[in-house]
Amino acid sequence: MTTSPGPAQRTILVTGGTGTLGRELVARFARSRDASVVVLARGSAHRRPAVLPHGVRVLVSDVRHGSMLGLSETDRAMLRDSVTDIVHCAADTTFNRPLADARATNVTGTEAVLAFAKDCPRLQRLACFSTVYVAGRATGCFTEQDVGGADGFVNSYEQSKAEMEAVVRDAMGELPIAIYRLSTIIGDARSGEVSGFNAIHHALRLLYQGLAPMVPGRESGLVDLIPVDFAADASRYLIEREFIAGATYHLCAGAAKSATLGALLDATMAAFERYRPAWRKRSIARPAIVELETYELFVRSVEEAGNQVLLQATRAVQAFAYQLAYPKVFDARRADGVLAPAGISAPNVLDYYDRIVRWCIETNWGTPA
Amino acid sequence: MTRVGIDALTYYLPASAPTLAELEQRGALRGPASTLAGFGFDRARVAESESHVDMAMRAVRALLDETNTSSDEIDLLLYAGALTSSSTMECAPAPAGAVLQMRDLMDFFKYPVSQLQSELDLANASVAGIDQQGCAAIFSGVRLARATLLAEPDVRTVLCVSADRLPHGTPREVVYNLVSDGACAMLVRRGAARNRIVAMHQVTKGAFWDAGSLENEIIAAYFPTARTVIEDTLRKAGVTLNDIRWVIPHNVSLRSWEILLGLIGCPREKLFSANIARVGHTIAADNFINLRDATDAGLLHPGDLLLLFTFGYGLNWSCMVLEH
Repeated sequence: MTTSPGPAQRTILVTGGTGTLGRELVARFARSRDASVVVLARGSAHRRPAVLPHGVRVLVSDVRHGSMLGLSETDRAMLRDSVTDIVHCAADTTFNRPLADARATNVTGTEAVLAFAKDCPRLQRLACFSTVYVAGRATGCFTEQDVGGADGFVNSYEQSKAEMEAVVRDAMGELPIAIYRLSTIIGDARSGEVSGFNAIHHALRLLYQGLAPMVPGRESGLVDLIPVDFAADASRYLIEREFIAGATYHLCAGAAKSATLGALLDATMAAFERYRPAWRKRSIARPAIVELETYELFVRSVEEAGNQVLLQATRAVQAFAYQLAYPKVFDARRADGVLAPAGISAPNVLDYYDRIVRWCIETNWGTPA
Repeated sequence: MTRVGIDALTYYLPASAPTLAELEQRGALRGPASTLAGFGFDRARVAESESHVDMAMRAVRALLDETNTSSDEIDLLLYAGALTSSSTMECAPAPAGAVLQMRDLMDFFKYPVSQLQSELDLANASVAGIDQQGCAAIFSGVRLARATLLAEPDVRTVLCVSADRLPHGTPREVVYNLVSDGACAMLVRRGAARNRIVAMHQVTKGAFWDAGSLENEIIAAYFPTARTVIEDTLRKAGVTLNDIRWVIPHNVSLRSWEILLGLIGCPREKLFSANIARVGHTIAADNFINLRDATDAGLLHPGDLLLLFTFGYGLNWSCMVLEH
């Protein structure tokens, strides 16, 4: 079923509108003349998030607070009567959160959004953001039709998102929902700006500090990364122009635009040297790429030794690096088939990766030097 | 190609061999004994009365006796020490009230290698000391021995010696490794009957010179660089890991070797690991103690290719391939 926006005023409700992707989407939606944008964001009612454009209404909310979403009766009623689009970006993207905590936001929180959506009489579209890593420990080609999880998961984030998808699919009979599975977002391809530092940026920092001796995986294994501007452009287009209820899309780099783990490590080291020439003097070696068994032995040794610094470092790398031990390629045929004619495609990661690393170095990973 | 090899070698270990539990009781460990036990250690060898020079002399005397080598045959004596204290004599305190402290100053010019040459009556040997490379010092000794033998026809036999003893009261645990005292001695010759040096390679990363403040960075640097150095040595030798019959290690923890073997893709069975538990890490003599014991155990056969790898503060990674 394809639906197109009507001429009447639309109200787009964005959950997680201050997050890495959410804020980019809000900025794009806010440029639409026929739409008003309401953002649900956690935080103080008295402090408007600086990242949001003028004209966007912000309501303090928390999807973990049931179908009321932590809203007042008045606000909830206002939204219920006006909302035409729900863009559900709110998520706990921390990889190593206890599963119960991850579920609280990603599963229970989504159930609350779905319950609210069922009350909205004007609702035309519900866009639900997920991750391509619902594939979990699967290897090989993972398609937009695949459900994932049969081989288990690497971390609680993946599992909670897969469980979220199950909840969403169950609701597809009652609601016009599409799922958008994102690859790992690493920053803005044009400026290199990183608005949300995640596990991969933390791993880069450890590498910079010389505290990452090895990563699991294969030299030739592909690492799928996307820039936030592509993620926002692509998902906005799919939501506003080509919404298909019941569809699942992969927003990823795919095999053609991804880089191998070896090439990414080389590019990382080269960027460190280029943007911090003094770093070269520290003689930090490129981390070894090892089998998972060897990596786990190293992690176990660090744990047994009780070395707190290396323990924190290995845990930080562990959170995402285990996924590298399960090489896979994401097939995005359905998304590409819609996006390519519109001229939207993911850039080759090595064409902009250097700018991301530079941003990390120059901002000291978002913390004052 | 001229064949240079390690023709003969011996070692000396002190008799005292306290267990981990005993060392823990003495306060000689930084962490619990159980951690070191889990990493493959059982006991250390501790010099109670012998100095590093005493241990070196005992190793050399045994070597000369065993091989019926006359002291006059030694053309060059290379003495390697890992600890900075191994490159000096044990200094007597300056006399009380001495104004110029001349006795202290002259102590700086007393060298173990000269004492060794004298005590062992190596009248024809010129001498050199090799230090500041941690546990990789003796590998540099062998490297210089080979280079000298290839460059100077008059030099026929080089005696390489290494000895280290931790000062009394120093903890015996360094970065999760159990440290022992000991010495080794070897004869390096052109036309050696065995242990031909096929290739050697060393990488130094001086950025890590301040070991005390960079312990975590050093642990992290160790593994990837070790792999690179081993792979580069194999490349220099024109062989692959499949061609290597035995890996003769430095006796750092068995656990770290298991990780390194995983990194280089080497089966655990190729590692001669028997001495890690019973000897511990003798700082600068491990590989050659192990080479001798593996030989005596009948594990090595003519033509076997051996990979010797060590790591020293400084930081230095050293590796060699020998043909037994």
